[in-house]
Order: sequence, then structure tokens, then C-alpha cells
Amino acid sequence: MLNTLETEWKDAVDAIERCYALGWTDGLPVVPPTVERVEEFLAYAARPADEVIGLLAERRREVTVGKVAANAIMAGCKPEYFPVVLAVCEAILDPAFNLIGPSSSLGGAGILVIVNGPIVKELDINSRNNLFGPGNRANATIGRAVRLILMNTCAAVPGLFDRTVLGHPGKYSYCIGENEAQTHWTPLHVERGFKRDESAVTVFAAEGPRQVRATPDPETMLYAAADTISTLGSSMSTSGSVGDTSSSLIRQGQVAVIFAGDSQVWKGWSKDDVCRSLHPRLRRSAADIKRAGGLPGPVQAGDESKYLPLVASPEDILVVYAGGEEVSHMAVIPSWGPKVSSVAVTKVIKRSAR
Amino acid sequence: MGKYLLVDPTTQPMSASFKGAPRLRDLRGKRLGMIDDSKTNAKELLEDLAALLKGRYEVRLEMYHRKPSASKPADPKAVTDMAKKCDFAIVAIGD
Repeated sequence: MLNTLETEWKDAVDAIERCYALGWTDGLPVVPPTVERVEEFLAYAARPADEVIGLLAERRREVTVGKVAANAIMAGCKPEYFPVVLAVCEAILDPAFNLIGPSSSLGGAGILVIVNGPIVKELDINSRNNLFGPGNRANATIGRAVRLILMNTCAAVPGLFDRTVLGHPGKYSYCIGENEAQTHWTPLHVERGFKRDESAVTVFAAEGPRQVRATPDPETMLYAAADTISTLGSSMSTSGSVGDTSSSLIRQGQVAVIFAGDSQVWKGWSKDDVCRSLHPRLRRSAADIKRAGGLPGPVQAGDESKYLPLVASPEDILVVYAGGEEVSHMAVIPSWGPKVSSVAVTKVIKRSAR
Repeated sequence: MGKYLLVDPTTQPMSASFKGAPRLRDLRGKRLGMIDDSKTNAKELLEDLAALLKGRYEVRLEMYHRKPSASKPADPKAVTDMAKKCDFAIVAIGD
């Protein structure tokens, strides 16, 4: 059952302005979600409009397939992108993701969507140059659909329940593919328990991507990445907002590292090797964290040599191969919050029998 | 000019499924439950408030629950216990 309203417009500009007036947009123009277009999306995914994907209990909201379709259309998606958007919704509404946190926090999370599997090629999802945009319809509109869904179906409206202080441009759209064809590394979704021939999305409540430059050599790249991840002032290097910090003193989150450049640089290295090499270096002294206000109290004897791990285990580092191949750049993306608040979640993309 | 039928992309909150407890008329001698959201200064705020209520109304702090994270709900078992053991509750949001 679709909740509809009748409207009229004299031309395309009038239609777009009508959607602005209804308060449905993210600030950019949207495609009006007509009943005919929504029905086309529902038919493509072979899912009923009233099927409930999940609940956001804290705001007493129910997210249905029909509402997701309307928002995906407004974002500019094609019908074939719809199953990807539905999988993202299942992932963000999984209790482990704890959507209430990243969709309301002062911390200003974007929802990074990483797409894996055969669907990346089928839908022409960008996994190479200009990884974070602009220029590719699938990445731009799937990522944008996520934000419109948060705003329109989950009440994560700026100034209402979204209390972000700064945020980052990834809050408009934040969707990438992994370039599985050009690396020997195991795809992210396979590492996280899915089959190579399945397609899946991984969602990650995240800060913005910080570009890191290094020479094409594993040691120099990991040295630069470790230094960037261990920066002061990140979400991970603070004790705030966590009830039990007795074991680690600080929040400890997850971090995604996107590796661009020639994949041959990593000959002889697995993703696991990368994570195990990085993990012990992701740390900062208690003294430094105190100086930056991440821990309360004055610097005391022993604080200079007491190092605190910012990431609890190597498994909390999400390694992805994507981006241009020309130079060995990386993107470091810290989690919005500690693991106790939200963790990355992966869901399979359900394909309709067609 | 044309008429079009649009699908509303927004949701409305579902109606609340609970009924509030009756309000207290007097705080004197009552049992207090506190929920700390785990943000900075929530504990300090609640402790000061508990001391003030004790001094002014002989309110007894019966139960104190600290959430695992500000963005996670309070433990449902702690909430149930608090409803049984306390006459009223105060929730603090620090920062």
C-alpha cells in the first residue's frame, strides 16, 4: 500500500520546486517519485511495497520497501540499483550498526557504502579514479539515496534529530566499489563471510576520507597510513561517551584503509598481512591523548611511555583496494564512533529471479 | 500542465505503546534511580543532584545504571529492575 498525494506541475522546473516545497530534498534537486516509477522499481526487485525492512525503535519509525523506492528514485537511481539500496537499508537497520547513533550524533557521520561482487561491474559502480566522486551515476545516486532515506524515513533531518556539528561531504553521498579484478587481495565481502560470486554491501559509520601520499613500497605506505590513523583528535583517540573504558581507557573504533596504486606493489602481501603489520602501530601515548583532551587529567609520570591502542584488533581494520592506479595514494577513514556504539555491517544483495 | 500522483517518501512516528506512570506529589523519602548516559560530566551532574535531593527531601539513591555508550539504550534488565525498586528516575545527558 503506497501512501500517495496528488499534485500538478506545468513543467520540469515546477515539478522539482514542488519537491523542495514538500521538504523532501537534501538541498539538491530530486526526481519526483511518481507512482509509475515506484511501481517500476518494486517490479524490478520483485518486493512488495509494504514489506518492512527494519525499525528505528528510538524514533518509532518503520522503513518499508515502498518508502525506500521513493527515496531511491528521488536520488536519481535506476531500477537496477534498487536491490543495492535495499541491502544498504537492511545493513544500517541491523542492531549491530545502531543507526540511532550515527544518524543523530554531534560527530557527523557519513554512511560509507562499499559494494563488492559481480554487481560492481554489472552496474558500472566506480572502483577506480575519482573513487569518491564525482562523475559516476551509480556511486552518486546509491550514496545519495542512503542520505535521503535517513532524512525522510528515519527523521534524521538536520536541526531536528541530526545534530551534526560539522559533518563532511560524504553525508551527501559516500559509495564506492572495490576493484576486485585488479588485485590478488581477497574481496572485503569474502573476508566478511560471503562468497566471491555473491554481491554484497558493507556499511560503515565514518568520518571523511583523508588522502595519504606515499611512495609505492609497502613499508613506506604502511608507515604513512599508521601515522595518519594514529592522529590526535579522531573519534578513536578519546575517552568520551563510553561507559566502560577500564580495559583500554579510550573509545577504540574501526578504520577503513583504501589502497590505490599498482596492486603489484603488494605482491607477497595478503590483506591479513597488511592488517597485522598496521595494527601494533595504531597507538598514541596517554600523554599525547591527554594534551589533546582525549583523556581527562594532567599528564603524569609514566604517561609518555604508556601507549594506548586506538584499534582493538587487526580485524577492525577494513582494507579495500580501489582508486586510480597511477600513484600509491591511500584514503584513511576512521569510524565515527567506538565499536561499542556501531560496527561495520555486511549484507548480501538479494537479486530477483529474472 | 499535468496531474501526477506522487509517493510520499516520508514516514510518521508510530504511536507510543506505553502509558506514563502517575506523577509523584511529594519527593520526601522516595527511592531514586539514576541513568548515566556515559558522556563526560553526566556522573558529576547526577552525583550532585543525588546529594541535593538527599539533603532537601531525604531521597535515597537506590540504583545507579551507567550505559555502555551514549548512543546505546539502557540495559532493559536495569530498566525493569529500576521500575520495581525505585519511585522515580532521573536520566542525565552529559557533555
